[in-house]
Amino acid sequence: MENHREITTVQAATILISTIIGVGVLPLPLFAVRGGGSGAPLVTLAGIILAAIGLFILTILGTRYPQKTIITYGEDIVGKWIGKMCSMIVIFFFFILSALAAREFGEVVVSAVLRETPLEVTVFVMLLIACLSVRYNINTFAYIHNFYVPAILGPVLIIVAFSLKNANPLYLRPLIENDFYYMAKGMLTISALFQGSFIVTMIIPFMKNPKKAIKASFWGIFISGGVYLLIVIATIAVFGTEEIKQIFWPTLELARTTALPGNILQRLDVIFLAVWVTAVFTTLFSSYYFTIYSIKQMAKLKDHRMLSFFMMPFVFFLAMLPQNILQLYDVIQIAGRAGLLITILYPAMLLAMDLFRSRRRRKKSDVQES
Amino acid sequence: MTYKNPSLRLVIIFFLLFPLLSGCWDSQEIEQRATVLAIGIDKASNKEEAQQSLGGITHFDKSNSSEPEEELIKVTAQIAVPGRIPLGPTQGQSSHNSVLIVQVVGHTIQDAMLNLQQQVAYETFLGHLRIIVLNEKIAKKGTQRFNDFLRRNPQIRRTASLAISKEPAEDYMRLVPELQRIPSLYLADMVDNLSALGRFPPSFIGLFWTILSSKGQDPYLPYLTIKDKKSIQLSGLAYFRGDRMAGKTSPLEIGFYMAIRGVGRGGYSAFIKVPGTDEFVLVKAISRKTKVKVKLKDGKPHVDIKVRYESEIEEKTSQSIYINDSTIVGKIQDETSKEVEKSLKKLIVKTQKAESDIFGFGEHVRATYPKYWTKEIGTKENWKRVYKDITYDVHVDTRIHRVGMKAK
Repeated sequence: MENHREITTVQAATILISTIIGVGVLPLPLFAVRGGGSGAPLVTLAGIILAAIGLFILTILGTRYPQKTIITYGEDIVGKWIGKMCSMIVIFFFFILSALAAREFGEVVVSAVLRETPLEVTVFVMLLIACLSVRYNINTFAYIHNFYVPAILGPVLIIVAFSLKNANPLYLRPLIENDFYYMAKGMLTISALFQGSFIVTMIIPFMKNPKKAIKASFWGIFISGGVYLLIVIATIAVFGTEEIKQIFWPTLELARTTALPGNILQRLDVIFLAVWVTAVFTTLFSSYYFTIYSIKQMAKLKDHRMLSFFMMPFVFFLAMLPQNILQLYDVIQIAGRAGLLITILYPAMLLAMDLFRSRRRRKKSDVQES
Repeated sequence: MTYKNPSLRLVIIFFLLFPLLSGCWDSQEIEQRATVLAIGIDKASNKEEAQQSLGGITHFDKSNSSEPEEELIKVTAQIAVPGRIPLGPTQGQSSHNSVLIVQVVGHTIQDAMLNLQQQVAYETFLGHLRIIVLNEKIAKKGTQRFNDFLRRNPQIRRTASLAISKEPAEDYMRLVPELQRIPSLYLADMVDNLSALGRFPPSFIGLFWTILSSKGQDPYLPYLTIKDKKSIQLSGLAYFRGDRMAGKTSPLEIGFYMAIRGVGRGGYSAFIKVPGTDEFVLVKAISRKTKVKVKLKDGKPHVDIKVRYESEIEEKTSQSIYINDSTIVGKIQDETSKEVEKSLKKLIVKTQKAESDIFGFGEHVRATYPKYWTKEIGTKENWKRVYKDITYDVHVDTRIHRVGMKAK
């Protein structure tokens, strides 16, 4: 396999950031509050840590096989057929994830902004853009992410900063409110919002210096996790836990409540939605990219361009399956939590087996030498 | 072959892009829109109810009781007339025709809005809705049934204002103030600016919902009256018990309320009797600093309120007293503190009687004693019962820093 190693560490980190920040920002505080009440920041933090552990496992695996992705080294570690089976499950999961992201995007747009526009059109347009972008190679992929990161982070931070004018710190206390069971469930849901970070396995083979992938992962999860935590803290401080339970997209509501001083803009949701559309695009782009490239690698195809268009109708069809927004969120939460088995447990298993085998190998060579 | 032909490619692209020119589904010309600027909600009278049953459009059939049981409300909406709202300062134009006033009856707001749509040719648009005026009588029966629609509709701003009126809300919609060309904007500015001037704590519909949802606090709203059929006056703070209005305070009590809530910006002044004389001075609160602490005393919450005022003497009523040394200022300080302390206690007692914890002491209890809260209280209703007889201490400390530019 010929690799042009052109992606820098910074680029890798930005890919992670813009991939992680996506549709999930909108219902994030709701998920967190459902899990932990006023202890939501704690739940979020736990979710971030869990996601970080998963990401580090994957990155360590990647640095051990700097030429390969999880699709290819998976076959090396567990054997060809089991590896292929697992890869198929992973691919299928990201296939679903792309569809759900596209649908959630469409659902927000239809119920909050463009109310007359058919849902199918918004979803289709989004998928089409992702499809077209996937046709290019990984460098373009890196550039697109790199380009959008400041545009995503800046406005979000501005909104959070100005919203604190209406904040009431009492809403953030007590730190632990709910049962441990609910908190654990909330933690899993939130950590599922970070599943996009799986893309790191695709990037490592193209990095200039694969050893630095750990550093990129750290900054990626640190910045995106920090943004998520800030959003949760700000929405709870402004709305309180009880009000958050009443709204679908507390983050969007936060932007609607926040005004720039001096009435320059009386509501910031316009800015926020513009940013959010880009954020959704980059997320969808990554998960679709992962799906297409993994299929390409598994089937050992030469070209992925036609595949990108070939898969699109299936994603679209899957996106249209949920009946309404309530069902959609049920599916998202269940799929997300189940997906943790794939995105954290599977790599963890691979890493354990790999470590075990390399130790045995070393022992064997030791025995032979002596 | 043909695929490589550049001119053919251009033609294809041209035809592919052609359908996009028609615009999107949501495009709407601004003059085709009925922009609702303000809404007033009243109880419907019997006559109007009869009208509704003739022209109802949201229920299937009268006979099979497909009608909601809620009382009918009368919604008066102020709709901007496209093109009539002047942008710059133009002279000598009356504001009479810049808005259209439509009145409809319905079971809920959306029901009424649908009825309204039957009367207006253009699609109603609520994105610029600045203020909703609720009549006192309706507010006393509960506001929760309006909140659902307002929360669900994405057009409504969370920063819109909500106010309670003594007179029918309809009158506010028909009122023509002299200071602003667009009546509803004057009304909205009035409510918005009040908090900027320190006359009222921050109040907008999103905040009202937030407080209403929180378990340990009851909401409040500005209470408006009409003076001389011409001008609007803020004449108190309407306090709620849950979603129902429970009563109103006097205007000065708004200041005391802000003191307990710890709203930093002062704005109210009060006459204070100078000790030892019969004369008064007007003392204005510039800023306040409040510390609220909740303790558990014998298993019951006890509130400790410390307020520190930074004040200024604005005026004295008579020439016979002199404000020229610091001892007299000190005496005025003490007198002010005493008076304010008394009034604060009175206000708390008033809200306790109404079981309306507008100060949010319950939130303090929930935040500081979570175990006690979940075990003993847990719900909003329970907190009201506890709030009714909680004990409290009030300490007021006044500092007069300035006396103006006069030496005597």
